Amino acid sequence: MEHSGNFLSFVGEHLGEFFTYTAFANLTAGHLIMICVGLLFIYLAITKEYEPLLLIPIGFGILVGNIAFTPGLKIGIYETGSVLNYLYFGVLQGVYPPLIFLGIGAMTDFSALISNPKLMLIGAAAQFGIFGAYAIALLLGFSPSEAGAIAIIGGADGPTAIFLSSKLAPELMGAIAISAYSYMALVPVIQPPIMRLLTNKKERLIRMKPPRSVSKTEKVLFPIIGMLLTTFIVPSGLPLLGMLFFGNLLKESGVTKRLADTAKGALIDIVTILIGLTVGASTQATTFLTAKSVGIFALGAASFVIATMAGVLFVKFFNLLLKEGNKINPLIGNSGVSAVPDSARVSQVVGLEYDKTNHLLMHAMGPNVAGVIGSAVAAGILLGFLS
Amino acid sequence: MKRTLNIARAVLALAMVLIAGHGYAQSSLDLRINEVLVINDSNYVDTYGRRNGWIEIFNTAYNTVDIGGMYLTDDPANPTKYWIPKGDPITSIAPRNYVLFFADSMPTRGIQHLNFKLKEGGSLALFESNGRTMIDAVKLGPQKPDVSYGRLEDGGVEWGFLEKTTPGANNYTGVVVTAGEKFGAMDPFGVGMAVIAMSVVFSALILLYIVFKNTKKIYGINIRKLFSKPEVEVAEPKPLEEEISGEVNAAIALALHMYVNALHDHEETVLTIKKVARTYSPWSSKIYGLRNVPR
Repeated sequence: MEHSGNFLSFVGEHLGEFFTYTAFANLTAGHLIMICVGLLFIYLAITKEYEPLLLIPIGFGILVGNIAFTPGLKIGIYETGSVLNYLYFGVLQGVYPPLIFLGIGAMTDFSALISNPKLMLIGAAAQFGIFGAYAIALLLGFSPSEAGAIAIIGGADGPTAIFLSSKLAPELMGAIAISAYSYMALVPVIQPPIMRLLTNKKERLIRMKPPRSVSKTEKVLFPIIGMLLTTFIVPSGLPLLGMLFFGNLLKESGVTKRLADTAKGALIDIVTILIGLTVGASTQATTFLTAKSVGIFALGAASFVIATMAGVLFVKFFNLLLKEGNKINPLIGNSGVSAVPDSARVSQVVGLEYDKTNHLLMHAMGPNVAGVIGSAVAAGILLGFLS
Repeated sequence: MKRTLNIARAVLALAMVLIAGHGYAQSSLDLRINEVLVINDSNYVDTYGRRNGWIEIFNTAYNTVDIGGMYLTDDPANPTKYWIPKGDPITSIAPRNYVLFFADSMPTRGIQHLNFKLKEGGSLALFESNGRTMIDAVKLGPQKPDVSYGRLEDGGVEWGFLEKTTPGANNYTGVVVTAGEKFGAMDPFGVGMAVIAMSVVFSALILLYIVFKNTKKIYGINIRKLFSKPEVEVAEPKPLEEEISGEVNAAIALALHMYVNALHDHEETVLTIKKVARTYSPWSSKIYGLRNVPR
């Protein structure tokens, strides 16, 4: 009888001890908030189809990262030697973003840009968003390195944001990545009101010349010359720009179809899964829910707004210099932010609202892909100056 | 005139490819004699508890460099005086890191102990493993006791007596200001950054714009024609070139696609009893594909 009593207390004690290991015992309000954020991401991805390829892994990653556990069991993403920590290595050391850029390069058709190279300048103008946000971040009291890492959200390029923040402000990377991807998903919501506000009806109805056909030689030369020129100017952008143009050469050369297929298929999918899950998991409530994160979200929104405004206003200014017949529809100005192809799609949708036969998608793809190059160049500059 | 223009274009294209700064090799040549203490009265003590002169070597590269196999000497006439043994973990110098050698003339105490002592007014040199290529050298003038003589910044050009002896550590002991902090101090509102960075982004994309506006012209240069004697040009009737727009191309592609789809049938899945004629080749012969019975 005494023995069975001891046994019961033994079991009770260990059940009690086991309870202290469970997430129920370690749960905080912060974890619950983050779990709700993760669930919201998953909901938006599935029901609204907002960037589902990114929001599903990130949303689920947020759930994974916010399961409260007892430290020391090599479970958490920040615990050296845990599986998640090994997977997170690719984010911390900036390995994944260039691989994603390789895939993006292999997917992207630069024809629209090659056929009308002046659209590149719109991609450059939209980078004002980055530096506008940089100035505001400095005013809010962020250090220059932190301000640079936050400002890149305005480039609307998730991999670039992760790459730069991993170098300049690794402690803010989770918030920056989540902010960048959230606003990228919200491009169809953020941009149209700004575009309507800054344009008049006459401008919205501008019809652009159809793009000329682009020869294979031009398409092959583009990644080679593009890589050489941009990286000679900004060598610190080499990991991103080098991989972007390399991926594009694999596609356009026509002789490396298998490599291009892998880069834009299995490889980018694997890396997207890993980067999404680990970035999501890096948002542990204990490290993520801070006043800085709130500031980062606010600055991210500001940088998107500035970038869109800069793109649209630049086209309006540029039109003053162009002859009648060569004018650019300012509704493609928003696509200078490099959320490919969402911002170009927004140009198309808003354009069709005013003229059912005015298809702007192909024209908008030019500044859109120029935005990818521009944001990578901008990231290189920030890295060069601030690291 | 046209020929000159063509040559100018070719030169421009070549220049774009060839304009390059000098690169930096990351090799044994990146090692530097970084700090030296000649008179050690009350300074750094080695693992044997002795005070001797010491030499700090700094790896300026961003990759690991192995100093094993190279030579240290205090005698320019004898560059191979002390051979640094290979294969020891101590000789692998991590990126931007240091290794120390003790000039105590006691080489039996380990690979860090040299077979010579440092002398005031003497010299010190590091030689490549071939014993001929000098990597770095320093002349030691009059020295002060317990004050090290070294580069004012790690791997830098300027030498002098250091405020603090820093064996195996950064020679610069002042407050280190990061590039970001420096930039922030000079540009507290981010205006400078915006101006510089936007100029660079615009320059990069304007350069791309200029190149791609003229790509057709550049790759259309007939190199053979450039270097051949000018011939009398015979006016030929030029074929009428019509610019085909992307929309027309898309329409043609769609029409072709629909036409090809309409042609398609399921012949791959049709069974046939017709003989398939193949030309004979020993490569496809079944006889050669079979394994021979061992004899």
